[in-house]
Amino acid sequence: MKKRFNPIKDKSSEIIEFVMSSPDIPDDDVLKFKLRLSIEEAVENVVRYAYDGGIGWLETNIDFNQDTLLLTIQLRDAGVPFNPLEKEDPDLTLSAEDRNIGGLGIFLCKKMMDNIEYRYEDGNNVLTMTKRVQG
Amino acid sequence: MDIKISQQENKTMVVLNGRIDTSNADQFQQDVAPLMEGENPDIDIDCTDMSYTSSQGLRIFLMLQKSVMARKGKLVMRNMNPQVKEVFDITGFSNIITIV
Repeated sequence: MKKRFNPIKDKSSEIIEFVMSSPDIPDDDVLKFKLRLSIEEAVENVVRYAYDGGIGWLETNIDFNQDTLLLTIQLRDAGVPFNPLEKEDPDLTLSAEDRNIGGLGIFLCKKMMDNIEYRYEDGNNVLTMTKRVQG
Repeated sequence: MDIKISQQENKTMVVLNGRIDTSNADQFQQDVAPLMEGENPDIDIDCTDMSYTSSQGLRIFLMLQKSVMARKGKLVMRNMNPQVKEVFDITGFSNIITIV
């Protein structure tokens, strides 16, 4: 199921709730927690940073493959080319004084999903997150 | 998200209810801003009914912890549900905030 949101400025919640209400999202509270967190962090990344002033679009695409039990959530935008996976993971050993406020979003996505891939394609950032759903 | 803040002797008691996410993080930050000043820095947060936090919430909990530490106080977070606890564990926040 594909949907394009435009414009996306201040629309994070609407986009997150749309994805979470997809019939492809399994009815499992623990899994939904991980999916919501990954979706929120990935969507926020686009809404806050992809476009100057937040003026632009974001397309969500959700797919559940019944055979492989793989749930795929893909985000596409035409903003500034940016590979969030190149961002260095936060140093978890630092003390509270030295920890930075921020920088945890994509790290949480990586930990919550089974796989995340980024590609730049036809002028679009494409982030693809997958999670295996237990049958 | 709902937040209740009360004073008990020299400690600030906070009860959180619901999700802390991008839709309410700014409000949450405003709600806890008064806890980042004053001479009684000890804070006890009841997380029994906090169902979710994203990095937006973590950011504010880290600000609280830094503020409390700078004033030689103690921040304690109680009764997190397992999913919320996992978020604190994998981000290393369990090592910098006291969770009981």
